Amino acid sequence: MKLSVNKQRSLWWAISAAIILSGLIAMAISWRQIGTPLRPSLDFVGGTRLQLERDCSKPGNCDQPINITAVRETLASQGLGSSSIQVVGQDQQGVSIRTKTLNVEERTKLQTALREKIGAFDPKSTQIDTVGPTIGRQLLNSGLIALIVSFAGIMIYLSLRFQFDYAVLAIVALFHDVLIAVGIFSILGLVQGVEVDSLFIVALLTITGFSVNDTVVIYDRIREVLKLNPNQPINSVVDDAVNQTLARSLNTTLTTLLTLFAIFLFGGETLKNFALALIVGFIAGAYSSIFVASTLLSWWRERTTNQSQPVSAIASDAIDTSTRSDDA
Amino acid sequence: MQRQRSLLVLILVLVIAAITVIVRFPIALGLDLQGGSQLTIQVKPSEEVKQITERELEAVQTVIENRVNGLGVSEPVVQTVGQDQILVQLPGVSDPEQAERVLGGTAQLDFRRENFETAALLNVRQKELSQLLLKQQELEQKGDTTAIAANQEQLQAKEKQIAELAESLFEPTGLTGKNLRNADAIPTQIGNNWSVGIEFDPRGGELFAELTKELAGTGRRLGIFLDDELISAPSVSSEFRQTGITGGRAEITGTFTAQSANELALQLRGGALPVPVEIVENRTVGATLGRDSIQRSIYAGVGGLILVLIFMVLYYRLPGLIADLALVIYALLTWATFALLGVTLTLPGIAGFILSIGMAVDANVLIFERTREELQTGKSLYRSVESGFYRAFSSILDGNVTTVIACAALFWLGAGLVRGFALTLGLGVAVSMFTAITCSRTFMLLAISFPALRKPELFCPNLPVSKKAEGAL
Repeated sequence: MKLSVNKQRSLWWAISAAIILSGLIAMAISWRQIGTPLRPSLDFVGGTRLQLERDCSKPGNCDQPINITAVRETLASQGLGSSSIQVVGQDQQGVSIRTKTLNVEERTKLQTALREKIGAFDPKSTQIDTVGPTIGRQLLNSGLIALIVSFAGIMIYLSLRFQFDYAVLAIVALFHDVLIAVGIFSILGLVQGVEVDSLFIVALLTITGFSVNDTVVIYDRIREVLKLNPNQPINSVVDDAVNQTLARSLNTTLTTLLTLFAIFLFGGETLKNFALALIVGFIAGAYSSIFVASTLLSWWRERTTNQSQPVSAIASDAIDTSTRSDDA
Repeated sequence: MQRQRSLLVLILVLVIAAITVIVRFPIALGLDLQGGSQLTIQVKPSEEVKQITERELEAVQTVIENRVNGLGVSEPVVQTVGQDQILVQLPGVSDPEQAERVLGGTAQLDFRRENFETAALLNVRQKELSQLLLKQQELEQKGDTTAIAANQEQLQAKEKQIAELAESLFEPTGLTGKNLRNADAIPTQIGNNWSVGIEFDPRGGELFAELTKELAGTGRRLGIFLDDELISAPSVSSEFRQTGITGGRAEITGTFTAQSANELALQLRGGALPVPVEIVENRTVGATLGRDSIQRSIYAGVGGLILVLIFMVLYYRLPGLIADLALVIYALLTWATFALLGVTLTLPGIAGFILSIGMAVDANVLIFERTREELQTGKSLYRSVESGFYRAFSSILDGNVTTVIACAALFWLGAGLVRGFALTLGLGVAVSMFTAITCSRTFMLLAISFPALRKPELFCPNLPVSKKAEGAL
């Protein structure tokens, strides 16, 4: 079976546009509701998260699930009524509380009050995260700078190895993938209350690397096919190149997804959203390199006539000599 | 063939070396895996010190180190981060609250002298207050509401006077935490009592001698203030009236328990902080949670690896098996690299490693797809394998370099846990390029040197029959 990606390129673009658009709408709604396009975790805005688990080795301590109303009352009595509370754990013996930034006295007071109301907690299962508001901003800024720097770095590298327009289109595909991942997390934030933390920025950067990797392999092949058949119309060159690399694209995405699903299923709470972001991004990445990056290239080359073809032939010649010397 | 053999020896040596390294150098686990507290301490400029320089940061670091040592945590880490932050890692800390209190205390230590006149005045005012309180009780019994209200006003005024007096009860002497060299909890000879021994630098010793000479035997106390809060108010006995306490050493006695003596000593020792500090980040993970994370990571890692191994054999047959072997070697080498470079493994770090397993296969996939294509165009097996490798190389290089660029950006600009991920993923990508090109290639060429394995259908199922004969040549 031969896939002709260029035939229905407006369909592929429409699918991408629809997903990106719904993400943008979610971001707009979220902006109006909470003032940010994504629901930020305390990593970025600061705050304290306390995760406490009852000590079930004590007799009678764990007879009942934790009463969320009692927790809420305790918090309200300490002036922390606006905190978010979640009962966690298999037997509902744990509670996760997110409040404004608490100092050690305030936190100890809260923990003591909770202990009196709910029962003894196991200090070995306690998790405390306190992030000051300034640190949160620093984390966000450094993350965004890392994102921009790596975009620039990838762009420069691709311009050197390929041509400037290849690089631009690869970056377009990259934005596509990042936008889809961000959009879907914005939707998840609205529907499920999913928060993004500093690992989400890490996920975006990994998606960046992976997405470009995928696009590069196809562009590499387009360049090669173009060199072998300089007079073939660009549409069929791109179709051929996509078909020749299709199995590879799918297999690589599949092997990576296998490990990601393993992290998603067994990796525990911290890594769950991280794995999910990568899964979304990598699927978007495979889609964009097969259906978007390739068709964009043929569309662009059609518009700029065939002047650019000889240039790309020279570029691939340079690569070829290097590989040939390797062979000898 | 000679080159093949020496490469094979190289790979074997590397694998043995890797296993030795893994056995002998265990990888350090991050606090999120072994449990413990990680605190980020922000050093703030004060009125006296307007800008934090390297010197201040270093001074604060020393003080913090002392305080950390006082906590008795094993293998703590104290390091400066950026211009004005200090990162403290306390593995397996059992009392995170105490740690936070001790480390985050602004701790501007200050020795003050009690003002005799103020003390006397305070005494008078306190007597007046108790009289007013008595009067209040009488009035309440009588039920005279207007008189009660008037008396109430007087009471409040008196309380305010007392509070003001109390504030000026102690006056600064110029002796501060800067002059303090050391403080220790010392057991006394009698009973279970403890006391706190202090030691000053020469200038501090002089000031202290002067101060104690002045106070000895007068009943006036020496106020020790931490952050404007009175933590101890010892009095000086009259035997020191002549010279004061000289020699720069002194002992604070009282009803100390081992713990309270220790805490006071710790507070005193930490009191030499030249500038205020604040804990701006605290991430504490309980030991059980950490252990749970390790177990889950192992499941995820092993599960992911097995799925990938199975997929490769099912899809690529013999080359898949070879890729699997290369992948296992990859995992060993990468793990050994972590151990050698002293990488501290964190939860995101493990995720980076697991992810790199999935991505490491990519190079092999690229090569095998090429090999299949070459076979399908009717080339011989040997030539197909060879050209599969060198034709895929440019794609492998481009793909990996872009990933490494993203990792480098994360490593230089990211913080904490994020760096762990960048490092493990970046190292993983680098090692995977080596194993894909060297190991897979060597094994592949070795495999086709056996006539029994030299069957194209082992490399590419569904190869058209007409091409098979050619391929076998």
